[in-house]
Amino acid sequence: MDKFKISLFPNISLIFGIFALMLIVFFLNSLPSIQKFGIELYTTNVWKAYEYEHEERYGLLAAIYGSVYTSVIALLISIPLSIGFAIFVVDFAPKKIKEPLIVITDVMAGLPTILYGIWGLFVLAPFLRDYIMIPLYKTFSYIPLFSYPPTGYCYFTAGVLLAIMVTPFATAIVRESYRMVPRIYKEGAFALGLTKYETTKILLKYIKPAIVAGTLLAFGRAIGETVAVSLVVGNTFNVHPSLFAPGYTISSLIANQFGNAFIYDLMPSTLFAAGLSLFLIGLSVNLLGLQYLKRWRYA
Amino acid sequence: MLRKLKNSLFLIYIVLATFLVTLPLFHIIFSVFINGFPVILKAGLSFLTETLPPPGEELAGIGPAILGTFILTFLSSLIGIPIATLAGIYAAEYPNSFFSRATRTLLLVMIEFPTILVSLFVMSIVVLPMGRFSAIAGAIALVIVMMPYVAVYTEQALKSVPERYREAAYALGLKRKQVVFRVMFSIARKGIVTGFLIGIAKAAGETAPILFTAGGAYRTFFIGLDKPVGAIPLLIYDLVQQPYSNYHEIAWGSALILLIVFLAIFIPVRLSVREVKL
Repeated sequence: MDKFKISLFPNISLIFGIFALMLIVFFLNSLPSIQKFGIELYTTNVWKAYEYEHEERYGLLAAIYGSVYTSVIALLISIPLSIGFAIFVVDFAPKKIKEPLIVITDVMAGLPTILYGIWGLFVLAPFLRDYIMIPLYKTFSYIPLFSYPPTGYCYFTAGVLLAIMVTPFATAIVRESYRMVPRIYKEGAFALGLTKYETTKILLKYIKPAIVAGTLLAFGRAIGETVAVSLVVGNTFNVHPSLFAPGYTISSLIANQFGNAFIYDLMPSTLFAAGLSLFLIGLSVNLLGLQYLKRWRYA
Repeated sequence: MLRKLKNSLFLIYIVLATFLVTLPLFHIIFSVFINGFPVILKAGLSFLTETLPPPGEELAGIGPAILGTFILTFLSSLIGIPIATLAGIYAAEYPNSFFSRATRTLLLVMIEFPTILVSLFVMSIVVLPMGRFSAIAGAIALVIVMMPYVAVYTEQALKSVPERYREAAYALGLKRKQVVFRVMFSIARKGIVTGFLIGIAKAAGETAPILFTAGGAYRTFFIGLDKPVGAIPLLIYDLVQQPYSNYHEIAWGSALILLIVFLAIFIPVRLSVREVKL
């Protein structure tokens, strides 16, 4: 081992240390709540905050359900668009607009999330309510999916906003891999007389792992996003099938409740337990996504 | 016939997809300008220097938040950039060691990590023992958020330097440390500086990490590292949740300032390098 390597070591250890300490802090802090409520902490939807410990009851189901629901909505919108956008940029965009299009998505990826938040709150939510939710509710309210009287602040708005926010990430992964498909496959497909659509369909099969990776990493981003979502999701303890119902997500629950949680005995611990579940979901989804990305890169 | 129809539908779809993907950015910029510009015009230059008014008619200003963002960004860069750069060097210089591989994976995971969790973490290890929100707690949270970006950029910039420069440097009899800092660094400086700037942009724009750490102070200017401090993103988040219309106006004005700051850092960086990964 050379001296230089040893001198760099403290920095690496520090980063590892922070990460390990984070896991430990979340685990230790959520223990009291997990011990008190057991598995019901994650499987029931109750939120009874009292000042006496024996009357407090918490269940995080609404938040977990909301997180998964909004992220799935986001992916259903985002993935098809990301793929379409990537194909356009790589195969069809004229040289002049190719680079600007990529710059636009890079700006979107880096844009402070609070700007999405204020836009979602004052522009997107009223727009979706007036032009999409109310018409759907009026005509199809007998379908459970559209059954809740829309206020604009609900799973659907959160899902659409998340879709807008994660698309730049997903499309960058898809685009990078699509660009690297050897030309020869494309030429072969054209030589067989296939149309552009049929050729693209074949080429997309080659980058399946990258699409999976993009989906997983986008899911990880969506489930962890906090401020923008908490402004539009409605912040209500709810486990409702309707797209238009207000709800909670894990991160918006933490953002909303943690500020005054310390008045109560078990609420801080419960919120750490919520954080722990987000920690573990985020970690596993991202590791899996990175794994897929690697498999594709070295294939 | 059917094949041609399918092909045309496909072409229409991808053009539509492109349109839908890019539209929100323009609409966000448009909305922020349309709502924010009149506010700043009305409040005048004092918008940048005055403190937050009480609910009502006044606009006054967001001086403490702007100063707070500057302090938090400066502090977190001061702590985070050196550590992250050295970590990036390690990952690039010793690519095959176990620790280096683990570091790379960890950095990529940390980039994707929910930032609200960083806020909780720093609250429980810094804010609770200290007994109050503080600038230093906010800065520590931002350090954790920005480090992975800086480290990953440094690593990739160093790796992109052709081997022959390193060999030439060794042939001159330089030590490894000198090779890295004198030769590799100056060749890869563009990529490394890009990493710094992306990290700084992140620190200036993030809201969730400082939610339970910086505390927020909008009526007094900076009074000490161990005292609460405000920030523009946090101010916007607080103001839009209040029912007062002058607070909403101030929030839009602040959003415009944040957008301008972000674009001023990001656009030159993005145009000077070809690939920016976030």
